[in-house]
Amino acid sequence: MNRFEYARPETVAEAVALLDEYGPDAQILAGGTDLVIELRNHWVEPKVVIDIKRIPELAPAIVEDDGVLSFSATTVMADVVANDVVQRYFPALAEAADVVGSVQIRARATLAGNICNGSPAADTSPPLLVFDATVVVAGPSGVRRLPVDDFIVGPGKTALERGEMVIAIELPIPEQGFGSAYQRLTRRRGTDLASITLCCGVSADGVTRFAYGSVGPRAFLVTDDTGELADPSVPVAEKAELIDEVFHLASPSLKSLRASPEYRVAMLRVLGARALETAIARLDKELVA
Amino acid sequence: MNEVGTSPRRGGGYGRVTGHQEYLADIKLPDMLHAKLVTIEVSRARILAIDTTAAEEIPGVVFVMTPDDLPQPMIRFGPQFQDRPVLAAGEVKYHGEPVAAVVAESREAAEAGARAVVVDYEQLPGGVFTVADALAPDAELVQDPGLRPGSAFADTNIIDEKNFGWGEIDPGDADLVVEDTYQFPMVTHFAIEPHAFMAAPMGDGGIEVWSTIQHPYLLQKMMAKMFEKPLSKVRVHAPDPGGGFGGKQIPKLEPLVIFCALRAERPVRLVLSLDETFQTVRRTAAEIRVRLGFDSEGMMKFSDIETNFLVGAYVDIADRIVSKSSYAAAGPYSIPAVKIIGRTIVSHTTPSTAFRGFGIPQISWARESLIDEAAYQLGIDRLEIRLRNVARYREPFIPNEEADGDWEQTIRTAAKRIGWGDPLKPNRGRGIAIGLKSGPTTGLSYSTVRLLFDGSAMVYAGTSDMGQGARTIFAQIVATELGVPMDQVTVVMGDTAVVPYDQQTSASRSSVLMGTAIQRACFDIQGKIRAMAAGLYQLDENAIKVEPGILLLPDREVEMTAVMQEALAPLGGEVIGNGEMRKDKMPDHPLGGTAAFFEFNCTASEVEVDMETGATTLIKHVTVGDTGRSLNPNQVHAQDDGAAIMGLGHTLMEHYIFDDEGRVRNIGAIDYRIVTSMDLPIEMHSESIENADGPGPYGIKGVSEGSLLVTAPAVGAAVREATGKVIRDLPLTPQRVWEALQEGK
Repeated sequence: MNRFEYARPETVAEAVALLDEYGPDAQILAGGTDLVIELRNHWVEPKVVIDIKRIPELAPAIVEDDGVLSFSATTVMADVVANDVVQRYFPALAEAADVVGSVQIRARATLAGNICNGSPAADTSPPLLVFDATVVVAGPSGVRRLPVDDFIVGPGKTALERGEMVIAIELPIPEQGFGSAYQRLTRRRGTDLASITLCCGVSADGVTRFAYGSVGPRAFLVTDDTGELADPSVPVAEKAELIDEVFHLASPSLKSLRASPEYRVAMLRVLGARALETAIARLDKELVA
Repeated sequence: MNEVGTSPRRGGGYGRVTGHQEYLADIKLPDMLHAKLVTIEVSRARILAIDTTAAEEIPGVVFVMTPDDLPQPMIRFGPQFQDRPVLAAGEVKYHGEPVAAVVAESREAAEAGARAVVVDYEQLPGGVFTVADALAPDAELVQDPGLRPGSAFADTNIIDEKNFGWGEIDPGDADLVVEDTYQFPMVTHFAIEPHAFMAAPMGDGGIEVWSTIQHPYLLQKMMAKMFEKPLSKVRVHAPDPGGGFGGKQIPKLEPLVIFCALRAERPVRLVLSLDETFQTVRRTAAEIRVRLGFDSEGMMKFSDIETNFLVGAYVDIADRIVSKSSYAAAGPYSIPAVKIIGRTIVSHTTPSTAFRGFGIPQISWARESLIDEAAYQLGIDRLEIRLRNVARYREPFIPNEEADGDWEQTIRTAAKRIGWGDPLKPNRGRGIAIGLKSGPTTGLSYSTVRLLFDGSAMVYAGTSDMGQGARTIFAQIVATELGVPMDQVTVVMGDTAVVPYDQQTSASRSSVLMGTAIQRACFDIQGKIRAMAAGLYQLDENAIKVEPGILLLPDREVEMTAVMQEALAPLGGEVIGNGEMRKDKMPDHPLGGTAAFFEFNCTASEVEVDMETGATTLIKHVTVGDTGRSLNPNQVHAQDDGAAIMGLGHTLMEHYIFDDEGRVRNIGAIDYRIVTSMDLPIEMHSESIENADGPGPYGIKGVSEGSLLVTAPAVGAAVREATGKVIRDLPLTPQRVWEALQEGK
């Protein structure tokens, strides 16, 4: 670890000012579960580390207000998993948050950090895409909101500009029934980085949203408005070709240690079908309830 | 206090689980410096120059040790061949080989210094990374032939070839001949405590060394020779290691750290990171070709096994692994004709060393898998074919060796536990496999036991307790023999200036060999107390019988402690006993001696395979070992369960992955996967067969390796039954199983 300044601002405005001042030489510390490893390995050598954990505006909170569920920037995975509203409306997000790292990691790692890190394998990216999350960003010129699909850019890259930081993530609570499911492919059951991350959401009006990661520079979102994928009267086994189409964006690395491209492509189909089946079943259950 | 067959609280266990145990990395000496290794990111390079200027300018850096600062020609060492240089000698021969070391006032400064050293090198093309590379007719030589003068193989990458066998193989004798070749990957020990080393010059010209070593006395001997010191001037401190598994048996970086300490005239410590251990120790990879002949009844007519062990750039103890495992390659079977070839082949990879199982898991994977193939072709049940061929109790099955246990009983117990023959649910399969490993072939252990005046006791042993529980076992023997409560026995280990000589902590030997030395030291004390009693009570010594903890006088029974106290009063004092256990070399034996005992194991496993993803779930996993007698049943279960779990690593997920240029790509805990608690079998059982027929105290045999000897073939056979697919490479990753499932689709 190299030497750096440690700053603990008390307001978002102060944090933003520091970010603006240092630009690429600043790193934000929230959970630190990625940052500390990067510092130790000298993958990042910041001049300043900005600890945002003590900013009262960002105090860990999951707030439901006017049909929107909002996660502050310091909300950790364990809290996401345990939240009743998440479990009720966004089960796939709870499933994804529940497999990030280990128990210890989930007590520290933040939801916002998971997407800010820009990993193509981030577990929560696919559900945030499927649930049409909005990322709330504070910067020198105020607060802006952008769809998570625009926020995620590529490996290690987000739409954040100089001086900007994520202050919250918002999920619109579905007005109609919505079933969702998360699937991932790993090399073992214990803590692992995923070779595929995948989320499927099916709404009562027949729209199916698939998002998947680890098979390209970023997680992709594909939407089917035809109602064919979501059709509960057709067995999932008969939708193989439609599911294949969903994954046309996948371009798994040829050099990955974790899985061959052929295996990943094949597993996208398998996990895609499983996620679709579960999502349809959950929607059905919700509608009955 | 009869503690035989009890499971008292583990000696040192409280400290281990509460963080109070002092590991080497916790020891801080006044004025201590820190070392960091300098490496380069290639597997093969000629070193042109090492520029230390920038590193030496970093505040806190004291000096950079380069090869030029060491005795020339480069001083080399090793337990079998003097081939390992203290620092890379002109050429880097494997990815991660240390090129230099930075010594600094703090660990941070040493690390910064290591990053600042500029190594000018020329990457060398080609390289030997596989058995095929090594044996190619035009293969480049990994080692300088001058290192092995007189060897018939000096001009090849073969260090040696072992040939064993008996009888004449005639395929015409067999109704069925099966043959195939199997692969076993490189895996690393992954001890939770990475290797650490420290050295300090002593005022009188001696050297003090601290190491996570399993064999403190081997280290003492090698360092005394290397630094030309009398044994009495090399003091080795060996704090209880945090896991060893064989990877800490043989000295590795101690010479470098000693050279640094002598140069600095201050203590110097080097603590490896987990990542660095990947480039320090691993298991030998192997390519195993097996040919087996059977008659139509499934009786084995011959076994022909040829194993090419791919060892690293320096031999370390690997050639011994090859000879010892090859000797028992045909397994626990009674076979009229056997031919075994084992080759030690060097490569441009991490030097391989001893690893729990010592070569047997590699060979067993192939042999047991091929026996299944024969069983299928003959239409004979896979359990039945093993029962027909396994050596009977006391039957000679290898020249000079007989079956030292009721192995049939062991197999039947495992089969019953797994429910062999019960109907299987869909996508499930079962496998069963047997294997054995020779225990120590030579041994020399000394122990001193002191019965103190108040009736408490101290035992001194040169064994290392790296988690296997030697401290508890030794205390149990002393408690039993001297009648001392367990919590009043103190076990002293880990300092060659304090404890008497012990050859080594390996081959599951310590309970049997050191245990015997300790028991004999107790007998020595018992004899002395009997003499005291004879004097006190005016009796003939022969009239006094000795039983553990007590003396039987003609008219009454007295506690040994009471006799001692009466005899030694009023000055007090103690009774000291010495014990020795020697298993001498047999000059005519190919291994230098017969096995003190065999670790025999039967593993049976039931798995369920996800036919879409290839993922394997272990439903039930059973291991049964012949322990002779379980002196401490809890510890036997812990060893058996632990070994089985470790075996699941190389079976399901562990392997080194190399790039085309021989760099290890999956160093560290992120992309080298070991088994976690989440990956364990849903049900797991370990059982022991106890016929009190072992050579150790109370009839015990050694344990701790048995349960991983045949993990892979048992699980592999279960996967085969579930999928109908034969896989001959490990590990059985979901991707590999899926690929097998795609064949013929």
